[in-house]
Amino acid sequence: SEYLLLLTQAKELPAQARRLCKINDGSLHAQLLEDLHLSETTPSPQSDPVITTRKVVSKGQNQVTIEELAILKPQTIELSCYLTDIPNNPPYLTGYWTKDGKGIVNSEETVNRTNEQYILKKTFDILAKDLGNYSCIFKEIQTQVTFVLDVPVIKDKRDKPIVSYTGDSVVLACKLKQTPNTWNWYKANNTEKGLINVTANPLNYKIFIHGNETKLTVLNLTEEDSGKYICSAEFDIKPSESYIELKVLSYIEPLKPFIAIVLEVIVLVTLIFLWEKCNKPQNDNISAGENELCSEQISKLTRDDSNGVENNTARQRKLEH
Amino acid sequence: MKPEQCTEVVRKMEVAMKCCAMMEKPQKTQEEQQSSTQMAAPDGGWGWVVVGSLFVSSALVFGLIRCLGVFFVEFVQYFGESAQAVSWITSIGLAMQQLMSPIGTAASNVYGTRPVVMMGGFLSGLGFILASQATSLLHLYLTMGFISGLGWALVFTPTVASVMQYFTMRRSLAIGLGFTGVGLASFAFSPLFQYLVEVYAWRGALLVLGGLSFNMIACGALIRPLGKPKVVLKTENLTKLNKCSSLLSRIFECFELSLLSHRGFLTYAVAITFFNAGYFIPYIHLVAHSRHIGFTEYQAAFVISVTGVADIVGRVASGWFSDLGKIRMPHMLVVWTGLLGLSLMLIPVAVVYSGLIVISVVYGFCAGAMTPLAFAVLPEIVGIGRVLGALGLLQLIESVGGLLGAPLSGWLKDCTGSYTVSFIAAGSFLVLGMLVTMSLPYFWSCTAPPLPSPSKRKSQDGSIEDGLLKQTLSLNSVPENLCPLDDTPYLDKELEK
Repeated sequence: SEYLLLLTQAKELPAQARRLCKINDGSLHAQLLEDLHLSETTPSPQSDPVITTRKVVSKGQNQVTIEELAILKPQTIELSCYLTDIPNNPPYLTGYWTKDGKGIVNSEETVNRTNEQYILKKTFDILAKDLGNYSCIFKEIQTQVTFVLDVPVIKDKRDKPIVSYTGDSVVLACKLKQTPNTWNWYKANNTEKGLINVTANPLNYKIFIHGNETKLTVLNLTEEDSGKYICSAEFDIKPSESYIELKVLSYIEPLKPFIAIVLEVIVLVTLIFLWEKCNKPQNDNISAGENELCSEQISKLTRDDSNGVENNTARQRKLEH
Repeated sequence: MKPEQCTEVVRKMEVAMKCCAMMEKPQKTQEEQQSSTQMAAPDGGWGWVVVGSLFVSSALVFGLIRCLGVFFVEFVQYFGESAQAVSWITSIGLAMQQLMSPIGTAASNVYGTRPVVMMGGFLSGLGFILASQATSLLHLYLTMGFISGLGWALVFTPTVASVMQYFTMRRSLAIGLGFTGVGLASFAFSPLFQYLVEVYAWRGALLVLGGLSFNMIACGALIRPLGKPKVVLKTENLTKLNKCSSLLSRIFECFELSLLSHRGFLTYAVAITFFNAGYFIPYIHLVAHSRHIGFTEYQAAFVISVTGVADIVGRVASGWFSDLGKIRMPHMLVVWTGLLGLSLMLIPVAVVYSGLIVISVVYGFCAGAMTPLAFAVLPEIVGIGRVLGALGLLQLIESVGGLLGAPLSGWLKDCTGSYTVSFIAAGSFLVLGMLVTMSLPYFWSCTAPPLPSPSKRKSQDGSIEDGLLKQTLSLNSVPENLCPLDDTPYLDKELEK
């Protein structure tokens, strides 16, 4: 009876106090601890058994179905596989569960047929370490339904780095369908992650958070700012991360092809004009030569003619006289 | 007169005539240049180099504009503006190109095409180089829109006019070949721009594009002048005769405003405006329409590619066929635009993928076929002498069609919820333009129209036959003016005898 009194008293104490409580009697000590353990694991009426259920219907045999579930906080979840349209309608099927490809012990069950359907359910307690791929597999008909349990994945991953220039500013953005508790930005140096603190560096960074999207503005870029930037969406269960790579170039980079092209244009234009000048004087020389020849002959003829005229007029004058 | 003296005179006359004949050649070319600047239309030789210049220029102007969409995504992200605000950049650029065309042609009339095109190439490149330093959307409007737009205006229209001056028999083929640059550039520039943006970000990419645009300077250098620019000749002649050339009449000259009273030109301008209103709509809406009906992104992109290929083939084929001369150019134009209008109206009817592909191929081919003819028919209407100014004014007037057509079709789509009505409207614009073309003077005759009458001033206007006629006349007059032997009255008296 003393023992029972202690037990009831012990149950009312908070968990930490219970552990510290010591009872001198060795055997009673062990027994009490065991009883306390049991009392800790049985769910007390206050804890909430809000169990989310997810169900997938699979028709026919030899089917593989995949369902993605976004898990935001630790929860208890019941996964159900409903099978219909099985040929021959056997009276019962055997099904078992796997996590990430490895069979879960003691999960094999015999499922009886109910109204042309076969239902296999299992409840899982999901914490951060429990996220993964859960599959219900039916051996006889090779049907499998996989539930992918994971934090929401940030989808728009750019596989090419974002390029910007020194002195310029750049905006890195991350977006999700669900709204996380908060967003955090990190800069990765090899294997280390350094949190970006705006209050410590107000001149260089600006972070904008609006519900399910976030933007990091990096100002006054320098070459050291190149590297991997990680945006982290903080959920209760686990953060969801995505990385963006930033490359900072100096202005000389694009100047190189630009100057090459401008030089090419200058060379082309010079060549075109030179070629034209070379061809032109030939034509000019020919016509100039002709002109000179012509003018010589004509001046000779005019001299002859004027002589002739003078002679004629002289003759006429003579005749008149 | 004694017989020896007679023979002596005859001998001297022969020598003189020979000499004068030799001297006439350089004089003749001057006369040729004075009578019409394209008279020495080589129809080959250096003309093909000018066609190559048009190829590169049209690639760097319109091919570039068509592929600017890659940059718009970057601008939206960097400046945080809406897609509509960013799309104004292209609108301003295109509007400048068309509205400033008369200035381009007027400048060519005064200074010649070569310096104008080179300046235009420089301006287009400068606009993009300045745009690479932009810190706001307004900067982009001013640099990529205004400055580059002005550069494009100074490049495009004078180059087209030069090709037209260099060719007579094979004009349509030359222009068709020159315009294939646009289609090929659209293919090549899309992946190139994507690559540039990925490696250098939009600032560096714009800088490189500015450098590429500088190549138009080299294209301009290739356009060897065929003669002195028109206005220079006219003012020279005017100063010889009477020295009154007021500023107003000079502007009138440069911009070729006399064309505004030319019935053929005005009819054609109206027709081209209608064409412009309908022509561009499928380029804007075909992708959206394909997606709307339910085809995938990849299928819609394939439709556009197929249309582009058909466009290029259509340009060359139509140019080659119309140069054969079997059918008159205005008739061919009517055929192609009629077919184009019909195919546009049939696009909404095609619901099966293969049907859409077939209609798009027909559309692409007719659209391409129409383009060189739309330009090449112009000298037939206004005469080659005025084609420079005509092109400028035409671009200005047709810009109205382009500016109205796209928003109208967008509004129709918003009203009715599908693209059917806008395609039918586009097709009807084209059919309307076709009907207006049929009211051109001399349309219904089977042979080429009589040449436009030369202007009252001098023999600078008029087409080739006119020029040839005047050349023979000038040949006879040359001995009177230029041969120095005629100074002697003695010889005249002998000739009269």
